[in-house]
Amino acid sequence: MSNDPELEELFQDPAHREVVDLLKLSRPAAPPLDPNFHNYLRTKLMTEARRTLQPQSARRGFPFSLGPKALAPAMAAVAAGFLVVLGIQIYLQNQSPSSAMVAVDLSHIQNKTNVATAEPIVIPFSGPVDKNAVADTVVIEPATSVTKQWVGQNLVIIPDHPLAPNTTYTVSLKASSAPKESRPNVQPTPAVAPSPVVVHFTTVRAPVPPVNPPSYRSRNVTYGQENRLADAGTVFNGGWTPTGQLIVTRPSGQPGPGSSPAAPATASGAAPKATTDIWLMSALGTPIRILVPGGNFPAAAPSGGVFAAWQVISGSQASLRIWDLQGNLQGTLATLDSMPDRAPVWIGSDRIAYVTQGRLVIVDSHGGSVNTRAIRMQRGSVAGSPLGTLLAVEATDGSSVIDLASGSRNPLPAGATGFAWSSKGDLGFLVPQASGSDLYIAAGGKNAQRIASSPSGQTWSDLNWAPDGASLLLASKPAGASSSASRLMLINVDGSGLTTFASEQEYSSPQWSSLGDLVLFTRQDEAGGRAFWTASTAPSESDAASKQALAEVDRFMQARLKGDRGAAQESLDASGLNAYQGGASSLLSPAGSKYERYYPVTVQLTGSNPNTFLVGVRIFVSRSGVQRSFFEEQLTLVLKDQRYLVDAVTSTPAVPLGHGPTVVSVEIVPADKGSQVRVRFDADLRPETVTTDTIQVRGVDGRPIITRITFDADSHLATLALSVRPGAYQLVVTTGVMDINGVTMADEYHASLVISR
Amino acid sequence: MPDFEERELVERAKEDPDAFGALYDRYFPQIYRFAYSRVRDQSLAEDVTSEVFFKALRNIKRYTYSGHPFSSWLYQITLNAVADHYRGQHGEVELEEGASLPSGAPSVDDEVVRRDRSRRVWSAIDQLPRHQRAAMVLKFGEDKKIEEIAQIMGKSAGAVKLLLHRAVERLRRELPPEFEAGLT
Repeated sequence: MSNDPELEELFQDPAHREVVDLLKLSRPAAPPLDPNFHNYLRTKLMTEARRTLQPQSARRGFPFSLGPKALAPAMAAVAAGFLVVLGIQIYLQNQSPSSAMVAVDLSHIQNKTNVATAEPIVIPFSGPVDKNAVADTVVIEPATSVTKQWVGQNLVIIPDHPLAPNTTYTVSLKASSAPKESRPNVQPTPAVAPSPVVVHFTTVRAPVPPVNPPSYRSRNVTYGQENRLADAGTVFNGGWTPTGQLIVTRPSGQPGPGSSPAAPATASGAAPKATTDIWLMSALGTPIRILVPGGNFPAAAPSGGVFAAWQVISGSQASLRIWDLQGNLQGTLATLDSMPDRAPVWIGSDRIAYVTQGRLVIVDSHGGSVNTRAIRMQRGSVAGSPLGTLLAVEATDGSSVIDLASGSRNPLPAGATGFAWSSKGDLGFLVPQASGSDLYIAAGGKNAQRIASSPSGQTWSDLNWAPDGASLLLASKPAGASSSASRLMLINVDGSGLTTFASEQEYSSPQWSSLGDLVLFTRQDEAGGRAFWTASTAPSESDAASKQALAEVDRFMQARLKGDRGAAQESLDASGLNAYQGGASSLLSPAGSKYERYYPVTVQLTGSNPNTFLVGVRIFVSRSGVQRSFFEEQLTLVLKDQRYLVDAVTSTPAVPLGHGPTVVSVEIVPADKGSQVRVRFDADLRPETVTTDTIQVRGVDGRPIITRITFDADSHLATLALSVRPGAYQLVVTTGVMDINGVTMADEYHASLVISR
Repeated sequence: MPDFEERELVERAKEDPDAFGALYDRYFPQIYRFAYSRVRDQSLAEDVTSEVFFKALRNIKRYTYSGHPFSSWLYQITLNAVADHYRGQHGEVELEEGASLPSGAPSVDDEVVRRDRSRRVWSAIDQLPRHQRAAMVLKFGEDKKIEEIAQIMGKSAGAVKLLLHRAVERLRRELPPEFEAGLT
């Protein structure tokens, strides 16, 4: 609160003024708040509002209307073509017919589509139940490890990892009666009978169907919708995990699942000076779990599902440690006499750099010192290349790129700072000039070229690469101005297309999520504090070919979902028509069943003369209104007379749902040496069952190709690295893959792969 | 949010559930915070907040713009809900005199000292009589104008000034001496 004339007038006695000044500098502590309460109450209110606020068929001349921004989510939901949401309420009768009934209000989740993959599942009960017994019976299909909590009468189920996209989940639980009250003259406690409660919901579609190459195209994306993650002062710093969650530093004592005011254990017994905690947070700002009490400056590893951070251990001492995303300590790398003021820096996924006493130190993930030449630096920039071979350093004697294998040092232009490496291994940095800033790109860390200069009088900072390495975000502001005048700008990697990303001022520190669908940034709020926000990104219209092909696939599939044979056949050329009529697949659903929904599993550009795409679609089949199985088709689309038509089709046998894990997407990504095939599953898997024996890439002769495999359990993602000639291959996932409940895949999974470079 | 935008949103919320949802999203934090400041219990604050918004939903068609922000109406409902909660109970004790204020040794670090002072001065406000406390929270915690506080509390502006004046005088008398030393 700054000068308030009312207070000036009211309190003129100096003694009173002192108290008022103190009050103006103070604020009451933020009250404890259950993070689920807001959403829970909102759900109840909206249910009541929809019942009681009758919207008129035609608005009565009110001069305002909903803008496109407000309508965008609804339009997107319609475009997704998902199931109609059924709002139902299940009443579970007590065993005693005379007793009261306990309602389980599932209207906010039952059969809902587009459910976020990292949000808690809330099941509210209207009366008392045996909480432990109820929580113990929770079963989720596909298999998902979860944490269960009770918040009042709400059972809150928090997935330990983000759910898989494009997936219909079933949550079932068996409710049990509350323990009987023994007090006399007390009405019997309402209790839930052991009827199972079953909830179905479908997660959000993957942001953009993967196209090879690249899977995400950042050029000319535009600013979508923004969302405030947290109020100013409640998140100090943070960043993305590779799976699209956030690791943030919050003031100690913030509310959230599993929060505890307890201080971390100390070696000496002295009370540590711990004023911050590290939390895992969803992209929507929901605190998921506390990860590190007393922690600060987290940095997520590029892969492996771990992060490094500093943690107060005793007095002013702080340790550099690594944890997994459950908050399990993996190791201590170093201990310093004071808490550093910046996050550690990952160099690849197995080494970490930090600065102490004016010196850069590099350690491996076990804390072993990595021998490098002595590098003196203070507050300069430091960044490691994604493969961990190169390190860009703004040292006191100048900026350079250091080859960590050979130790050789490649000087950069004087003043180079603000280093950022792209996923492709290109280095971006800025060089301040008298009238502004120059932006440089060093492809592969070598041969730095100036690609753009800021408009005269503007300075640039906060470089951040798009995940496809094709463009960068940066913050731009007038020279000498405060950050309140900062704007976010977008620029292509060749220096073209400089454009305003967000029109508002006060935005800075952009961080693109690994999927490219969101940008984290800070902005000044109304009270002058800096708050963290996210903004969604809208893809560009320039990717015309793949968009056109996918639009044709969508038109074709929508006709099939509606059972409109004539409209579906309009998307086929003669060859494609013959394929369906010859029994390669069934154009419409067989009698007694219904094609319920579909989504593209993979999209591959296989030829350019004419343009040819191979699009894999997964089609879900329902019987009696319940999705029971899916099958996949590989559609070959060929450009003919400026329109893509389905020219060929192959299909897989039907796979029953709810019978073990399934593959939800296959993506081919160019890598520095060869290619990567990324196979994502819908369930939490037993890591020991994900091997080169159970997931194979085979040549046309059916022989397995030599691959290396890594598995990220948090994101259900198996990545195969291979170096092969361009051509056609087959992905095979065997039934040896097993979920955490010990259930194997129902059938082998096969998919065509086209390696194009 | 500019005044005209808020008025438009409120008008829409009389018929449009999504607009009501937007109002809820906007005002939930401050209403919850205010409710908690009055009852000092998380569960009770949740109950009060829930009651406030359900009452607002039931009565929004009768709401008419009176020159004050929509939030004033919500604050009014909150005060009534809190009063309803305590009506017939003896849970809230009116302390006119003699309530001891929290004390403690000053910390070494300036920031810690500042936070400690802040915590203690707000603890002291918690000990004030009910109406003084409401006025202080709305003025110093929610940055409301005296006119708006008067409207929320159903009192005259003069009465609110008197409440604020008495509250500050009481804090001056009862806060420990080290507070004054640190003010300059």
